[in-house]
Amino acid sequence: MSTWLAIAGVSLSTFLLRASFIVFVDPHRFPHWFRQALTFVPPSVLAAIVVPGLVMANGTLDLSASNPRLIAGLVAIVATFHVRNATAAIATGMGTLWLLQWLFARLA
Amino acid sequence: MAPVLLGTVPFGFVAGVAAVAAGMSPAQGIALSVFSFSGIAQLVASQLIAVHSPAIVTVAAAFVVSLRFLMYSAAIAPHLAHLDRRWRALLSFLMTDQSFASAIARFSQPGPGAGRHWHFLGSALTLYVSWQASVVIGVVAGASVPASWSLDFAVVLTFIALLVPAVRTRADLAAAIIAGGISLMAAGLPYRLALVVASIGGIAVGMAIEARRRR
Repeated sequence: MSTWLAIAGVSLSTFLLRASFIVFVDPHRFPHWFRQALTFVPPSVLAAIVVPGLVMANGTLDLSASNPRLIAGLVAIVATFHVRNATAAIATGMGTLWLLQWLFARLA
Repeated sequence: MAPVLLGTVPFGFVAGVAAVAAGMSPAQGIALSVFSFSGIAQLVASQLIAVHSPAIVTVAAAFVVSLRFLMYSAAIAPHLAHLDRRWRALLSFLMTDQSFASAIARFSQPGPGAGRHWHFLGSALTLYVSWQASVVIGVVAGASVPASWSLDFAVVLTFIALLVPAVRTRADLAAAIIAGGISLMAAGLPYRLALVVASIGGIAVGMAIEARRRR
C-alpha cells in the first residue's frame, strides 16, 4: 500500500513540476532571482548525480587511475564536449569501460 | 531522434531492473514508469522503496531531483502559450530532459512557429513508447542480465550527455563543481539527502557568482 502511495505521489509531483509554468502560472510573475536560481538547477542536479556515479560506484571514494568508471566518464565528457550528442557519450563511455574492465582482468 | 533512443533503451532497461530489484511487483514498476515517465525520478524512487522508506520521503526525494522540470517548464512556457490547456497539459506530461533539449533548440530557430508543437508531440511520443517498452523489458528480463555488462553505467553516461551542454558559463561550471564535491562529502547522509544538499549548494554558489559578476 505504501508503495502504491509512493508511486502516486512521485507521478503527481513530476507532472506538477513539468506543468508548473506551462499550464498553471506565468513565469514572469516570479522575481528575477527565482528565475535565475532555476537556471542553475540542471548543472547542479546533474553534477550531483554524475560525480558519485564516476568516483563512488561501490560506495567508497576511488579517485585512482585504476577506477575504470572514472576514466570512462572523463573520456565521455571530452567526447560530448566535441560531439554534442548522447550517442558519443554512451558509445565512448561504454566502449572505454568494457575495454578497461577487460584489460584490468587480464593484468590481475 | 536515433541518438536519443540509443540512450533511452539501456536507461529504461536499467530503470525497469531497478524497480523489480527494489521489491516492486511488475505492475508497480510499470505503473511508476507509465505515470511518472522520468528515469531519474524512477531510479531514486526505486532506491528509497528498496530500503522501505516512508512514502513521503520517497516522494520528497523524487520531487527534488525533478526540480529541473521547473526550469524547463519556465523556459518553454512562452512557446506553448498560444495552445489550449489540454495541449499544454499533454506536452507537459511528455516533457523530458531530451525532448526539452530538442524542443528548445527548434523553438529558438527563426521562422514560422505554427505546427512546432506537432513536432514536439511526435518526438516526445516516440520517446514515451520506446521508454515504456525498454522499462517493460527490464522489469521482465532484468534479473538475467550479467552484472559484468555494467549496464547501469549507461545511466551515468546519459546524464553526462545532458550535463556537458548544461554548463555554458563559469557560474554554471562552479555550480556543477561545488554540487559534485558536496555530493561526495555528504554521501553518508540517509534518504539520498546528499543529492538535495549538493543541488542547493550548487545553486547557491552559481547565484553568488552571478551576483558578483553583475556588480
